[in-house]
Amino acid sequence: MKKVININFQGRVIPIEESAYDILKKYTESLSNFFANEEGKEEIINDIEGRIAELFAEILKKGSTCIADDDVNKIINSMGKPEDFETEAGGTNEHQNKFTSENIGPRGRLYRDETDKILGGVCSGIANYLRVDTSIVRIIFALLLFGAGTGFLIYILLWIFVPSKKLKTNITKRLYRNPEEKVIGGVASGLAAYFDISVWIPRLVFAFPLVLGILNSIFHNLFNDFDSFETMIFGSFGGSLTLIYIVLWGVIPEAKTASEKLEMRGSKVDLNSIKNTIQDDLDGFKNKAEKFGNEFSEKSKQWSSEFTNTINEKGEHFTREVNAASKSSSKKFGHVIGILFKAFFLFIAGMIAFALLMALLGIIIGSVSVLPIKNFFLNSYWESVLAWGTIIGFLAIPIIGFIIWLVRRIMKVKSNQKYLGATIGSLWFIGLICCVTLVFQIGRNFKTKSAIEESITIQQPSINKLHIKVANDNNYYYGYDWFGVDCNNENNAFNVINEDSLLMKTIRVTVVKSKDSLYHVKMVKFSRGRNPEFAKTAASNISFNTIQNDSIISLPKGFIITKDDKFRNQQVLFIIEVPQGKKIQIDEAINDYEWFDINFNKRRGWNVNWDRTWDNSLNWDTEVELIMGDKELINPNKNLNDEVDLEESLKDLERKKIELREQQKELKLKHKELLKEQKDELKSKSTNSTIRIKPIQNLSKQICISTILIDKFSI
Amino acid sequence: MDIQNTQSQMRKGVLEFCILSVIRKGEVYPSDIVETMKNAQLQIFEGTLYPLLTRLKNAGLLSYRWVESNSGPPRKYFVMTELGLEFYDELEKTWKELADAVHTITQGSPEINNQNQ
Repeated sequence: MKKVININFQGRVIPIEESAYDILKKYTESLSNFFANEEGKEEIINDIEGRIAELFAEILKKGSTCIADDDVNKIINSMGKPEDFETEAGGTNEHQNKFTSENIGPRGRLYRDETDKILGGVCSGIANYLRVDTSIVRIIFALLLFGAGTGFLIYILLWIFVPSKKLKTNITKRLYRNPEEKVIGGVASGLAAYFDISVWIPRLVFAFPLVLGILNSIFHNLFNDFDSFETMIFGSFGGSLTLIYIVLWGVIPEAKTASEKLEMRGSKVDLNSIKNTIQDDLDGFKNKAEKFGNEFSEKSKQWSSEFTNTINEKGEHFTREVNAASKSSSKKFGHVIGILFKAFFLFIAGMIAFALLMALLGIIIGSVSVLPIKNFFLNSYWESVLAWGTIIGFLAIPIIGFIIWLVRRIMKVKSNQKYLGATIGSLWFIGLICCVTLVFQIGRNFKTKSAIEESITIQQPSINKLHIKVANDNNYYYGYDWFGVDCNNENNAFNVINEDSLLMKTIRVTVVKSKDSLYHVKMVKFSRGRNPEFAKTAASNISFNTIQNDSIISLPKGFIITKDDKFRNQQVLFIIEVPQGKKIQIDEAINDYEWFDINFNKRRGWNVNWDRTWDNSLNWDTEVELIMGDKELINPNKNLNDEVDLEESLKDLERKKIELREQQKELKLKHKELLKEQKDELKSKSTNSTIRIKPIQNLSKQICISTILIDKFSI
Repeated sequence: MDIQNTQSQMRKGVLEFCILSVIRKGEVYPSDIVETMKNAQLQIFEGTLYPLLTRLKNAGLLSYRWVESNSGPPRKYFVMTELGLEFYDELEKTWKELADAVHTITQGSPEINNQNQ
């Protein structure tokens, strides 16, 4: 059971089996490859196809319902395959001869190829032996070299032991870089031609990890800090592919002449031909192995006898050849180095472009995240128009332009680009104007800064302690400071924002010494504005209400500014004056506030009339009782001198220990002496010994005590 | 020395001569040329013939015209041009000389050859 399809073949409708159609297609493809270089290629192929169509029609006229495999094969045999044409027609092109006639030639043994070499011709020899493209072998060797260096050793060994010979090329297809369709080096298009696939496939394979990395990093960076670009480029997969691309660029020759271009396309490499080659290999392998084994054993015998001679000879030969090679291939090396440099510079240029792109993307992401709060920035309708103009014209247009350029570059679209370029350029220019105007406008709104001081009347607490509590639920509050978005938090920053209000946490709590014996609480509100009045109004609009419950003062989690208030970098400084000797306790939640620095510039800013010691307030301990000392808050539970004392006492102990040891030594010596004396005395006067025993006993007691003491100190 | 190669080299030059000689006799369809040559025991693939015809046509030795066929699209019929005739005459002259020479060398005297003719 076979599927039959109808094809329109040279003006005739032909019902043909699908498999037969495949054969036919392959055949016509091989023809078009064969005549690729011929003048009037189209005509020849049309003629041949027309004839085939005619033959099909004849078959169908005889009563067949459709064209089968056999019919196609018969026709192909009568028309002749490209391989058959050569022998009689006399192709005018030499490459065509080279192409097929040598394909049949028997496979010899392994030689180094003298005709095609970079160093010693080892790679081309192996390629010749295996009937694969030299470039592929070279690539493998290059990778081995990069990988472990084993490639180098193998190469040298083969160079020494394998004889060299002039070899004819025996492959029909070679891997070339395609200069006609290149984006960087033409590697991808060359690969596409070799494997007979569309160009975009290898391109995508090379570009995909890079694109993936970029996308990944963009999404990653939305919530986190920027990664270094290197990890993106060299990150695992993408990196190795980039390396491979550079290696391929260096190793694969460019198809320059027409015949090279033809070789680049060559005959089709498909599963069948690969299978055949492998089959061929397996058949011949056993014999080869045996033969090679025999040869090898013979050789080794010979070798052992003529060891020195051979070595000398080979060595000489080898050095001679190496010299020649290094001379002849210095040019090629120069070429390779040139390519490497080219690759390097392209890479650097790419990196710079990439960095610029990423910076732009970052700005865009930043501005998009500012979008929900734009109403807090912008005064008028016109300003929001400017903002949109900036985002679209100044930021988005270059990205779009870049993407368009990239796509066109990859797709090789060639059309009138003037119009497009002008459009993009003018749009961007409009965006730029918008951006500058907007920045100017916004800057004007932040021109002056004003402050309003309010004292809050509180009841003196019944106990001598004030407890500052900060409202704290588990929600995350939108932290906002002068430069915009707070990116450090895991929670989604936009949760607590709605269109109308924005929670500000630019609050700073400071504790200073009271001038009298009472607690005082003061609050200073800051804001910026177009002029002092605007700034003052904005500052007075800040509502930061505290609630006192005897000794407990509760602070809100922040203050809210509305759309009408606008964001003008409002800040609140909350000052608590604590009399000397009285206590205060502060919640840990105070750290949720976004602390700001205060400008002590008395000329323009706000006059501060107390010590600057409160700057140390960053070092407060929270959740513990603090006592107001002479100048600043003191934590009574924490004695800073403790540590110093401990160290000193340890040293003392060590010293005492050493002294005691010395004493002990002396005592022991005395003990010995006394014992000696006693013995002597006992010898001379065996009687009357009791008198002297007592001091000795005392001594031994002392020694005991000293050892106990030493033990104690050691602990 | 590859025998196949030599053989094909020998055949090469003659092939064009033979094709031209078939076309000289009148307007002809390519597959007829193949037929004629097959009958004379000279194998040629159509795949070889078409490129050769195109080459000769491009060189101005041949021209063609489309002839309507009963079934399917029109067919290409080839005729010889003036230039082609001159070319053919030259080739014929050379061929005769060559044949004589070859015969003389391989068989002996050219007269025998002439007598046979």
